[in-house]
Amino acid sequence: MSFVDYTKEIQVVEGKQPLRTIDDIISKPLETKPDKKFYIAISVTLTMLMFGVIGLGLTFWYGIGMWGNNNPVGWAYDIVNFVFWVGIGHAGTLISAILYLFRQKWRTGIARFAEGMTIFAVMTAGLFPLIHVGRPWLDGYLFPYPNQHSLWVNFTSPLLWDVFAVSTYLTVSLIFWYVGLIPDFASLRERTANKFKKITYSIFSLGWRFSNRHWQHYEMVYLILAGFATPLVLSVHTIVSFDFAVSILPGWHTTIFPPYFVAGAVFSGFAMVQNVLIFVRRIFNYEHIITLNTLEKMNKIMLVTGSMVGYAYAMEFFIAWYSGVQAEQFTFFNRALGPYAWAYWIMVTCNVVSPQLFWFKKIRRSIPIMFVVAVFVNVGMWFERFVIVVTSLSRDYLPSSWAYYTPTLVDAMILIGSFGFFFTWILLFTKALPVVSIAEVKAVVDGAQPSHKDH
Amino acid sequence: MNDSSKTNNVLWKSIEGLNNDPNIQKMKEDEFLDGVTEDFHPNQLSGISRRKFLALLSASAAITATACTDYQDKGEIIPYNKRPQEVLPGTENLYASTCNGCSLSCGILVKTREGRPIKIDGNPDHPINEGKICTKGQASILNLYDPERLKEPLFNNRKISWNDVDKNIIEVLESAVQKGKEIAILTGELTSPTTKKVFDKFSEKYPTTKIYSYSTINQSTRSKAWFECYGSYEFPSIKFDEANVILAIDSDFLVNEDSYLENMRLFTKRREVVGKTDFNRLYVAEGRMSATGMMADYRIRVSPDEQYNFVMSLVNELSKKGSNIEFDPVTKSMVSSFSINNFSKKIGKEKLNYLIDDLNKSRGKSIVYAGSTLSKEVHLAVNLLNEVLGNSNLYNYLNESVVILPQSSREDFDRLIDSMKNGNVDVLIHFGSDPVFYLPYDFEYQSSISRVKTVISLSESLNESCSLSHYVLPLNNQLECWGDSFVQTGVYGLQQPVISPIFNTRQKESILLTWISGSSSNFSSDNYHKFLIENFTQTVYTKLNSFSDAKRVWLSSLHDGVVTLKNVEKLHKKISQSWIPLLKLAKENSGLTVHLTESYFIGDGYFANNGWLQEVPHPITKVTWDNYAALSPLTAKKFNLKNDDIIEVSVSNSKIKIPVFVQPGLSDKTINIEYGYGRKVIGDVGKDIGINPLQLISKNHFETKNILTNASINKIDGTHKLVTTQEHHSLDDTFVKDFHKIRKIIQEGTVEKYQKDPKFLHEHKHELFSITNEHTYSGNKWAMAIDLNKCTSCAACVASCNVENNIPVVGKDQVGKGREMHWIRIDRYFSGSPEDPIASNQPMLCQHCDNAPCENVCPVNATNHSPDGLNQMVYNRCVGTRYCSNNCPYKVRRYNFFDFRDHFADEYYQNNLTALVNNPEVTVRSRGVMEKCTFCVQRIMDVRSTAINEGREISPNEVVTACQQACPTNAITFGDANNPDSNVAKLRNHNLTYHVLEELNIKPNVTYIAKLRNTHSEDNS
Repeated sequence: MSFVDYTKEIQVVEGKQPLRTIDDIISKPLETKPDKKFYIAISVTLTMLMFGVIGLGLTFWYGIGMWGNNNPVGWAYDIVNFVFWVGIGHAGTLISAILYLFRQKWRTGIARFAEGMTIFAVMTAGLFPLIHVGRPWLDGYLFPYPNQHSLWVNFTSPLLWDVFAVSTYLTVSLIFWYVGLIPDFASLRERTANKFKKITYSIFSLGWRFSNRHWQHYEMVYLILAGFATPLVLSVHTIVSFDFAVSILPGWHTTIFPPYFVAGAVFSGFAMVQNVLIFVRRIFNYEHIITLNTLEKMNKIMLVTGSMVGYAYAMEFFIAWYSGVQAEQFTFFNRALGPYAWAYWIMVTCNVVSPQLFWFKKIRRSIPIMFVVAVFVNVGMWFERFVIVVTSLSRDYLPSSWAYYTPTLVDAMILIGSFGFFFTWILLFTKALPVVSIAEVKAVVDGAQPSHKDH
Repeated sequence: MNDSSKTNNVLWKSIEGLNNDPNIQKMKEDEFLDGVTEDFHPNQLSGISRRKFLALLSASAAITATACTDYQDKGEIIPYNKRPQEVLPGTENLYASTCNGCSLSCGILVKTREGRPIKIDGNPDHPINEGKICTKGQASILNLYDPERLKEPLFNNRKISWNDVDKNIIEVLESAVQKGKEIAILTGELTSPTTKKVFDKFSEKYPTTKIYSYSTINQSTRSKAWFECYGSYEFPSIKFDEANVILAIDSDFLVNEDSYLENMRLFTKRREVVGKTDFNRLYVAEGRMSATGMMADYRIRVSPDEQYNFVMSLVNELSKKGSNIEFDPVTKSMVSSFSINNFSKKIGKEKLNYLIDDLNKSRGKSIVYAGSTLSKEVHLAVNLLNEVLGNSNLYNYLNESVVILPQSSREDFDRLIDSMKNGNVDVLIHFGSDPVFYLPYDFEYQSSISRVKTVISLSESLNESCSLSHYVLPLNNQLECWGDSFVQTGVYGLQQPVISPIFNTRQKESILLTWISGSSSNFSSDNYHKFLIENFTQTVYTKLNSFSDAKRVWLSSLHDGVVTLKNVEKLHKKISQSWIPLLKLAKENSGLTVHLTESYFIGDGYFANNGWLQEVPHPITKVTWDNYAALSPLTAKKFNLKNDDIIEVSVSNSKIKIPVFVQPGLSDKTINIEYGYGRKVIGDVGKDIGINPLQLISKNHFETKNILTNASINKIDGTHKLVTTQEHHSLDDTFVKDFHKIRKIIQEGTVEKYQKDPKFLHEHKHELFSITNEHTYSGNKWAMAIDLNKCTSCAACVASCNVENNIPVVGKDQVGKGREMHWIRIDRYFSGSPEDPIASNQPMLCQHCDNAPCENVCPVNATNHSPDGLNQMVYNRCVGTRYCSNNCPYKVRRYNFFDFRDHFADEYYQNNLTALVNNPEVTVRSRGVMEKCTFCVQRIMDVRSTAINEGREISPNEVVTACQQACPTNAITFGDANNPDSNVAKLRNHNLTYHVLEELNIKPNVTYIAKLRNTHSEDNS
């Protein structure tokens, strides 16, 4: 490779775009009618969603028995999907909040989209705790509300902590996202001639007039919200991991779970964002905004978090051996060699081995390869949750109650449905809101900031 | 007329009132003074005011609204205007009766609530079963409420009235007698002397009658052998409690054979760990793996066809060391031709020497007992062996078996079927029996039946024989019947109905009595009742020498359910040796031997439509809803078979296709198949469940029908999924081997070790401490102790719990998915080699942990702890996250994956009838709710409220849980752990007590008493 000058910052947006072009290019999908490709895409996602609706309908009508869950394996696809989607929802806030606080300018191109994905992923995830219960019509019992029975929720249950953690995360992410959108709404308001759009944008832009004062307030609020959101990035998956770590089940009862889950979540979140962005930048011609450099940086994060996850897998084994607890030791042997060994090795291959390819710069910068690797990571991370949830439950303390879990068609339908739900929202998002922050991108375009060189 | 006298009786408020002033009269008519109601007088409605209009509008809206709701009329609820005698709503009534489930005729106590039977338990006054009843007996309550019972008499599948039935049949019977054609009655094993008397009367009235008795489960070989040895068909029961050494020869005497409730009780008297440990030693020589085999201290694998040689070799070996009887010269030479050497190779010298040594040392204090499925020859040899050892003082002649009607022989049936074929049988009456299902196929009974003019089946529900009958007459359930039983000398049981017949059914004796009377109009519903009293007065009352009058004695006997008759013990006769020359050395069979044994829970097929029983896991294999051919691992390997493969088993000309189950511990020559399965004509539940192995029996095997030698097997295509409630881990799979020992789930020792060091179990124990302040239980604290020395895995507890706690039946598919709902299960673990496994059983139920891990994870507080130590479930609050179940290390929580009550076709268990079986004290759980053992909280509350009412403390052993009540060996003890006088508190401090998964420090309240094996010290390692 040629000589790289590390003293010079890599341009976030490639080429010296006129600011007007940026406005045009980003708002173009919002101002044109959806094309055929869009309709094909949304019909696919809606079909997937339909599967989920039918699967859920069957579940609501007949009961949880429609799933493969059985006596030792009380949780399976339901909670696997929940943790998987919460994990996916981790990249967005990490990119927009933590990277913002660290002044990582390369985040500007992808932050909006990542945040959107966060919200949709958390929405998808949030469905599962509500539908996994046997009597979903009584879901209200999960929330602490004053009632004449004087009944209160059980604050010692990690499942309840989940309710709080996920709902807080969703709320803060939504506010954060919306605040970021305000200047863009104003820009769109200025651009559109459509009356309906104008009114809508006017309402949502909250009277933004691009004044200096507005910008000052905006920057401050954004900073504060970023500060708010940062601990949440870490807390949500920590608390989700408590669902397992607080129990006494071998394979769940592990102190490494909080950092391990957070790393895994960031890992899978980035993989999903990278997957989707590869399409987005191509379809909407954002190659110069969501640059290859940005993708490479994401791949580096995947390499780091993937290695952390790999370390956690190894450490679990070590601690199991070191603890001297036979049940704990067996659980991990059983993962690697037992009836679910296939799932374990899929997980290891996808999560630990495949991201190691990112040590090579060529691979980090090759879009097809990075795409495949990220798909692998997503598959692997789903299997990680499957391995944790199902293999631990299927063989716990008493060998007499061991049983093998096999998913049913309805399980698969709901899994497909969750993807349908998620991607339907994504597709609607691309046509309803600017998928890249107009205001922020303009701020990082070469020449947007005053510099001494040109003067 | 005297006005003043009249007014004296009238209360008056005013003068006007007294004088009947018309104004006052009008005021009285109008309820409200200001004329509110006047507005709505129909005559005045023409001019409608705003107020009226609104009132009418709202009234009509209200009427429309209420009329259009989807309120379903669920039938009338009728209160007791006059309370029936003896019925107090909300309290139970108990009635003593006799169980008709099998021929053991145990005494039962039926619990009824508001006139409806809801539970069957053993009658504590009954000398044989002493308050206990088996799994089948427990669950048989469901048969009463089986929606597929026969409800009306049928003639050629059409409804017909009883009156016409009686009229027509009496005509047919009379014409048969006139023509001199045979009337054949086929009955199962008869236990009632009064029924026998009805038969006698019937034969008197219709002289061409012949009575045939046959039951697949019978004691005929034992009885015949006894006759040849001692000249009497009536054999004594065995004093198992006095035996120091027991050798069971292919006998499941503890769990499923002979008088097993009594045997279990006597046997476990010598497995007591409280006080002196005076254990017996149990050797089991068997080809199959029986529940008794699991209890054995030493198990010896001997195929049933080799048992005769085995016992004779023992006779030879032991008589060399001295004999209690003098052998005739013939006997001597005969016996000496049997050599033990053949067996010492197969069995292992060590085990065999122990056996011979132990039998030799405890002469007169040991017993050899052969299974009732074995041939007469084995029984003869066993009788001889017991005589050689001088064990005859363990025969209990006070309770001899009683033969009311001997089993018909093969010749009898040959003759019957010949006459049927020749058209000499005019009437065939299936007296509650199902010969089409169980008679050997080559009698050609099924094909000859068409030659009989009138075939009548008396049955509770449709069976194979009904489908070939002209008349199908519905019978009462046992709880709707009068009756008596006399199966052991000295014990006369009485049966009384506890509910009037639910359907248009009659009792079978009552039907015959009507036919005997010669006119249909002579029927009365109490004809058999009267007949029974009469017979009681004539036969039993006269023997009692009571001072009271007959009626009083009858009523008090009925109250007790059993009469103990004085009985003079017979002297033990000298054994006859005349039969010995007829014996010969059994042939060596090179082929496989099929051993047909009675199914553990559905009997000979009678209980096949009982979902509760179909779903009780098999004690050894834990298979439900199926039977199978059990093969040893080595045989399976040889034929390249694995579980669920289908094989064809052929014996001479007959073949069946049956799935394979590889069973460790089986003899390599033996194929064990349980019969009772494979019913074809039966209700939805039992139809086509399993395979009927009785099809293998030809009439040549009539005498030794359970042992079929020279069988061959070959694998055929396809598989049949057998579902088990416990996953099977190969014994030699080192990956998971002996986990129950490594994890200290099962802790065991030997008697010797325990006697040397009573505290051996707790040697390596360390103190567990808690970092939080533990809750202190100051009042009652409920706890259970389970003695693993006594558990035979008979599953009576499981059935009792099912009935008590309204446990739903989930069906084969759901069991296959691991969703069975039993609150108590019996875990079975194997250790040792696949050839010679050592089984350990452990009843597992909610442990009601002090630090219950399920409680803190429930997000809605649906499971929580009571101040008296119960881990409670609040069904109404449960949303069904299943988190509690995940966090339960014992996995005893059960989840309603469906509404299991309507999960079956046509909402099988939601019909009006079956719903009546539910215990009104226990909530019926809905879909999506978690449930588990409650320690029978309804019983605790019942006892508690009684105690509060009586102003006293709950006495230490007052609460009895359903499983405890059912346990035939009293292995389960329940009570207040805080009361030092309670049995459970004493057992909690026993040296052999341990908690399962103690190191989790969740402080379970079910304690287990470690099993001691009475093996020789060399085996300790």
